[in-house]
Amino acid sequence: MKKLTYFPGCSAHGTSEEFDKTVKMVMKSLDVEMEELPDWNCCGATSAHTMSETLAYALPLRNLVLAEKLDNKTMAIPCASCYQRLKVTKHHMDADPALAKKINTTVVEEGTYQGKVDVKSMLQYCYEDVGLEAIKAKVTKSLAGMKLACYYGCLLTRPKNITNFDSPEYPVSMDQIVEALGAKATEFDYKTECCGASFSISNTEVVINLSGQILEMAKESGAHAIVVACPLCQSNLDMRQPDIEKHTGKKLDIPIFYFTQLMALAFGMPEKDMMFNKHIVPVEGALANIGKIEPEPEKIKKPKKAVEAESEVE
Amino acid sequence: MIILGTQGPNTFLPEVNARSGANILECYQCGKCVSTCPVSQYMDFPPREIMQMVKLGLKNETMMANSTWFCLTCSACSGRCPREIEIPAVMEAIRHIAIEENYINDSTKVKEIRTFHKIFLDMIKRYGRNYELRMMAEFNIRTRNLFKDMHLAPKALLKGKIPLGVKSVKSAKAIQRMYKLAEKLEKKHQ
Repeated sequence: MKKLTYFPGCSAHGTSEEFDKTVKMVMKSLDVEMEELPDWNCCGATSAHTMSETLAYALPLRNLVLAEKLDNKTMAIPCASCYQRLKVTKHHMDADPALAKKINTTVVEEGTYQGKVDVKSMLQYCYEDVGLEAIKAKVTKSLAGMKLACYYGCLLTRPKNITNFDSPEYPVSMDQIVEALGAKATEFDYKTECCGASFSISNTEVVINLSGQILEMAKESGAHAIVVACPLCQSNLDMRQPDIEKHTGKKLDIPIFYFTQLMALAFGMPEKDMMFNKHIVPVEGALANIGKIEPEPEKIKKPKKAVEAESEVE
Repeated sequence: MIILGTQGPNTFLPEVNARSGANILECYQCGKCVSTCPVSQYMDFPPREIMQMVKLGLKNETMMANSTWFCLTCSACSGRCPREIEIPAVMEAIRHIAIEENYINDSTKVKEIRTFHKIFLDMIKRYGRNYELRMMAEFNIRTRNLFKDMHLAPKALLKGKIPLGVKSVKSAKAIQRMYKLAEKLEKKHQ
């Protein structure tokens, strides 16, 4: 049995309760024991590093110090923003001991940072530590028939030298996970475009524009739904979708799943535990595609004359 | 009009370089950052121009631009920069200097972005964690836009998408002390 420290993040108790719940369910069935970090605090998210260099390091550092009091070597984090803040802080603290000492001794009172706990996103943990084979072995209800656009957002794989995971331009880890579940991942070019993130409330116009482009591209890729690994991406793409539809005048109707919700579904867990009722965009239409396997489109050989006629038109 | 060379030695460039850990002189103005940036169309000066302005020592103009406030820190630009400059770190350094030295861009958008971040940090100070509903309510009150996003409220609240309360950190007092100490440390820098 594997063991890890679990850092849920604020949205796990709020907008992304379904992510938190399905992560716990899926990990349990994959034989991973998760120990929640006791008395964790908010990572500071975008606001801390926007407004104050010290708080940007101090808030995540407190969590890193608390994590070192447990025995687990890895801390896994479902939220992409929390993950990146903790990972960036760890990177700078490890690279610059003088900075680490300054922040640690003057601001964080919980203990001395030693840098002995590794920080991973839940996606990375599933991909690297659990592995595709173990995931595949748990599938009892294949998602075959579903076409999914995997959206990673900007924080899971960037900056490259800090995250050291997958590709910053065209990552494939989540694609491989959903394919292990039986679904088909579409060719989707907007995998790592930003959704507008923290502007959700303060600058909604930007989110409508950026998230709108992502939704449209996913739709164009032929996907029935989008899969994400970040609460903020999910709420921007899901909760703002009616506004985006109103703004562009185009019907999108494309639900946004957390990858762990789909894992739980493919593992044959009861559907009510996936909390699909919390989604603003209804999921039923997309889920109805499960089991509907389209035959591979046969290449239709055109009669020679028609080909010639076409080339003349061109 | 700004006449270059009449403003004394350029102390701004070394300051930004030191704080960001980047070397802005490496920038050869190719503009890849601008075409990559998802929000450059909203900026007074896109990232490429900000780089050049810092090189030229145009501190006041750089500080007053909305650019650093619109930066989403998505790191798309730095991932593609052929000179491997950490552009988001540069944007951040500029913003931190602007906050510390009281350069205030008072356009409505920048004000709203700043207000949002202040409220968010205030939530953490109070509860150690974010209290989403209260944060949204306070934002609407402080920006005098009471009905913003109200059309989302019935669905979001009914579905439990946004919970009514928050589970605060047990040692919220420790977080409050952290805030005080951080403030003290930053004052020392100035």
